[in-house]
Amino acid sequence: MEPIVTATLIASTVATLCGVFAKTTKQLIRLLAVQAAALGLVELVLCLINLILGLGFEALVDFFATFSEWFAAAVITPLIIYWGMIKTENVHDEPSINVKRVGLALVAIVILSLILSFFASRFLPEKINVLPFVAIMFSISVFIIATRTDPLKILAGLNMAENALYPMFAESPLFLIPFILALMIFVNLVGVFIIVEAYHDYGNLSVKAWRLNE
Amino acid sequence: MYSLLPLLSIMVPLSIGFLHLILHPFWFLESFFKKTYKTLLLFSVFLTLITVLSMVPYVLAGEVLEVPHLSLRVDSRNMAGLIGVSLIFFLASIYNVEAEKGGRLKPTMYNFFLLLFLCCMLGLLLSHDLFGIFLFVELTVGVSVILVAHNPSKLSTEAAFKYLIITAVSALFVLLGVLIIFFLTGNTNLFDITSNPHMYARLVENPQLLMLAVACFIIGLGADIGIVPFHGWLPDVFPGSTIIINGFFCSEPIALILALYNLVAPFYKIYPSNVIIALMVGLGLISMVFGALVAYPQKNFYRMLAYCSIDEFGHIMFVLGLLASPISFAVGQYYLVNSALMKAGMILSLGSVFFKTGTADMEKLGGLLRKMDKTALSYIICALSLTGIPPLSGFYAKWLLYSVAYNFILELGGTAIAVLSLVFLICISMVTFIFLLRSFHQIFMGQATETTKEACEVRWAMWLPTIISAVSAVILGLQPQILLSLIGVA
Repeated sequence: MEPIVTATLIASTVATLCGVFAKTTKQLIRLLAVQAAALGLVELVLCLINLILGLGFEALVDFFATFSEWFAAAVITPLIIYWGMIKTENVHDEPSINVKRVGLALVAIVILSLILSFFASRFLPEKINVLPFVAIMFSISVFIIATRTDPLKILAGLNMAENALYPMFAESPLFLIPFILALMIFVNLVGVFIIVEAYHDYGNLSVKAWRLNE
Repeated sequence: MYSLLPLLSIMVPLSIGFLHLILHPFWFLESFFKKTYKTLLLFSVFLTLITVLSMVPYVLAGEVLEVPHLSLRVDSRNMAGLIGVSLIFFLASIYNVEAEKGGRLKPTMYNFFLLLFLCCMLGLLLSHDLFGIFLFVELTVGVSVILVAHNPSKLSTEAAFKYLIITAVSALFVLLGVLIIFFLTGNTNLFDITSNPHMYARLVENPQLLMLAVACFIIGLGADIGIVPFHGWLPDVFPGSTIIINGFFCSEPIALILALYNLVAPFYKIYPSNVIIALMVGLGLISMVFGALVAYPQKNFYRMLAYCSIDEFGHIMFVLGLLASPISFAVGQYYLVNSALMKAGMILSLGSVFFKTGTADMEKLGGLLRKMDKTALSYIICALSLTGIPPLSGFYAKWLLYSVAYNFILELGGTAIAVLSLVFLICISMVTFIFLLRSFHQIFMGQATETTKEACEVRWAMWLPTIISAVSAVILGLQPQILLSLIGVA
């Protein structure tokens, strides 16, 4: 793996990790944007260089596909969740298990993922050598989903998990990108629609309280 | 044989659905749609059913209808599923005429999402492209979430959110599996992957990754279906949705379970690992036991049916998981279509009870047999069929399932284990029989309660679909070859 790719993967992993400790919805949305921006940046810059050097139609299509992917993940999705936050509220809360335990659990996840990736590297083809990073980011994002009660934070965590798979999309067929983007935006719109409706029904943004109110 | 019929069966609901979406902003058409949207939906679903049925003669003649560049294909492997989905949707659309009383979605959007839902399920059954399957799975689940939220009650939003999160995470597993296979083979067409020796070899060279992809498919689609331990959303979605949306949802497992089989079976052929069988059969058994035992003490009939569904999904996963058996797929398909049809009959019947009494609490119900005789009759016939009582269709489905399971285990572990397994399966069916019979007793027998004393039979549009389900249980029980010929094993 090239050093620049490793660096951006580390940066996005750190952003995902910070997401666990984010106190407000706004903070988590920002971290989501940073994670997505970092993840897509290398691919985007490579496509831009190809476009400048080659000036071919194929390079142009590639660039636009990558740019739209990056833009949807780093800008549109956080904006949709932000819109949901404006319609409801910016909840200030902490993970539902205490910070010390969260820290320990995260260390355990990272160590386990590293051990897994060490063994996995023996049989992973060159193309999928980003899988260990994908696994770490995905695990942390699932952890965010599991430890939060604010539905908007859960949705942001879900997007972080989805973004974690971004490095693997890089070589997916071009025709698929519009569909994946449309789905990504669709799921977020559905999520925000449900959260706003639930907020009107229950008057709060806590999944735990919704369950107790049934 | 090149044919546009598979594409047409997707395009009919999709185009009518998009027409609704385009007309949605025109406020002056709102009153027109309010009066006609139920009829429009019924007409659209009827057209789709006709399109699907028009493919039957070709399939019975052994033809394969294909749209190769879109990787759409109809043959005996998916014909029964296509009919099952469109028929249940058609029955639910008839029921919808009386049962739908409005909700969070406006009429045009309601029709758009229902037709999109139908289109996605048909697409899921027709597609044999990995990315196509992924997109249809995601869309099917996304639209289902919206339809759950359509119910104006408080319960629906909580249920819809839970459903969204569980299934969105599961969709990532499906995507991961698809991407792993794509990276290994460079192709997404399942038939190309299994027939091209070069791609075949690349998969065999990386068995760990192949197994990881298969595990991702089972986890991902298992959560969408509602298999234990990924079933968390299912018992909330049933009571959270409107009575009619529950009816439409009965067709969903047909598409999702067959999609899971289509994703797993080709890779089992390439790398016939017992781990795949153990995973499918194990999850099936756990779901079966868990579903039956947890359904037993339920007081809310929707929750009881939700756990009963998990039990049924377990049976289907179990039989489809016996991948080494040559007839397990045919039996699984028969069981799946029959189970979905019977469940539709039961859910719609109980929907009628809820419609008239306003409660799903079985302890508050009773004495409805005389007041709602047609509903009671269709409920008991469908319930008895589901539990495998002869001469109903479920008996034949259970018989085939037991026969496949017995022969498979006989080869694997000898007569004693095979007999014990059979006894175990029969015991699970007995539990299902007991709680379904008890539910009939609680809801329909005995004296009328305070809640049921004013109740009366629902209008024809609501009892007709349930009676059709019950009649199909009798016909398919006496003539099972009608369905079996579509599956290609008559």
